[in-house]
Amino acid sequence: MSQLLDTLDKLKTFQKNAPIRIQTLGQFNLWRNNTKIDPKEWGRDKTIQLLQYFISNRHRHALHKEKIMDHLWEEGDDRDFKVALHGINKVLEPERPPRTEPTYIIRQGISYQLNLERIWIDVEALEKYVIIGNEALGENNTISKKAYKSAIEIYQGIYLPNRIYEDWSSEEREKTQMLILGAYITLAEILVEENPTESIRLAQNAISIDPTWEDAYRLQMQAYRIKGNRPQAIKTYQKCVDVLDEEYGIDPLPETKKLIKEIEEIS
Amino acid sequence: MAKKPEQTASFMVRFHQKIFEEDGESNVQWRGKVSHVQGGDEQRFSDFKEAVTFIQEKLSELTLEATKEHSPEQREGILKKSLDMWKTVAQVGPKVIMDTIKDPKKQIAQIQDQIQDQISHLGDEIGEKVHIDQWRNASRSDFKKVKKSINELAGEIKKLHAKIDKLSKKK
Repeated sequence: MSQLLDTLDKLKTFQKNAPIRIQTLGQFNLWRNNTKIDPKEWGRDKTIQLLQYFISNRHRHALHKEKIMDHLWEEGDDRDFKVALHGINKVLEPERPPRTEPTYIIRQGISYQLNLERIWIDVEALEKYVIIGNEALGENNTISKKAYKSAIEIYQGIYLPNRIYEDWSSEEREKTQMLILGAYITLAEILVEENPTESIRLAQNAISIDPTWEDAYRLQMQAYRIKGNRPQAIKTYQKCVDVLDEEYGIDPLPETKKLIKEIEEIS
Repeated sequence: MAKKPEQTASFMVRFHQKIFEEDGESNVQWRGKVSHVQGGDEQRFSDFKEAVTFIQEKLSELTLEATKEHSPEQREGILKKSLDMWKTVAQVGPKVIMDTIKDPKKQIAQIQDQIQDQISHLGDEIGEKVHIDQWRNASRSDFKKVKKSINELAGEIKKLHAKIDKLSKKK
């Protein structure tokens, strides 16, 4: 367990000290040595897009130039790619001496990848925090809570909201949404007895991401029951019934029905 | 060079599994969401057919948009071919899997009914209902095997029928 705590602390330190930090959730921002980059520094949009493409595919080691061009330009040529790549390197390392290898975009022949040891990216950190939370769950809920809270702090909205129509960004967006939904729900579950009010808030955040997430409604009902707010618990159940009927044409699960029955029986 | 988004449609499909106990029986329910990336529209579904319809609609729109400059006759022909291709994919494709995803119990019941139909041809004395308990946890490949076996069984039954008819005529 102490190893998980160590990893958690290292992640926090990296978040503070990384020479390059990138925000992709809610909006796109980049900090170089703690200074936020002015959007004008990027020049053209394709430069930002290429960096965002690298981020979206950061775990596919060594991205082939042709494949990148195929996704971003369709009929573009080498020059377009070179200009965009030069634009990224200029923003990340404006002082880099000529004829030296870039530090942050690692090149191997005609393949490229981000140097994740030097660049802090919010989605990458969020995933790592959620993994720690999941690993510690049940064994050490203090670490779990700390890790999930760290993930939630990072989550500022959907992944690259201005690229929602680009298919290369969809996978990361979906993955992050599932991770954060899981973090909200699991943390709400851990906290339901000790802090039902916070549990309700977390479940509400999950509902704002996916209004059909039945676990979130059930958690809210449990939390309201603990708080002694029977009417609100019933109201929450009704909302769940309406949403599931409207979106899927189905009833809530037996587990949810059983819970409302128990709540209704409270005199 | 600008991209040509009208030639591409991407879809993100999310399946969310719910396993639960009801009336002492284990059940699984699938809830899903299909999103059209380029258009931003999305559709939730508990029946996979709804997702298929959604995708089909978006692809038809794509074809219509890409053929705006064609004559009405050409457009009609292209759209028909586009839809035919899609129908083939949807029907010849994993129909059994889709049905199983949609409603595994129903799929088992259908197989059971098919067996029952074939058995009933052989006479009432062997027409006892086939028990389904051992099939509740069957995998997709099991369903495929069962389907194949049913087809083979149906063929054999046909042959038997022909022989019985022949014998009856001789009498």
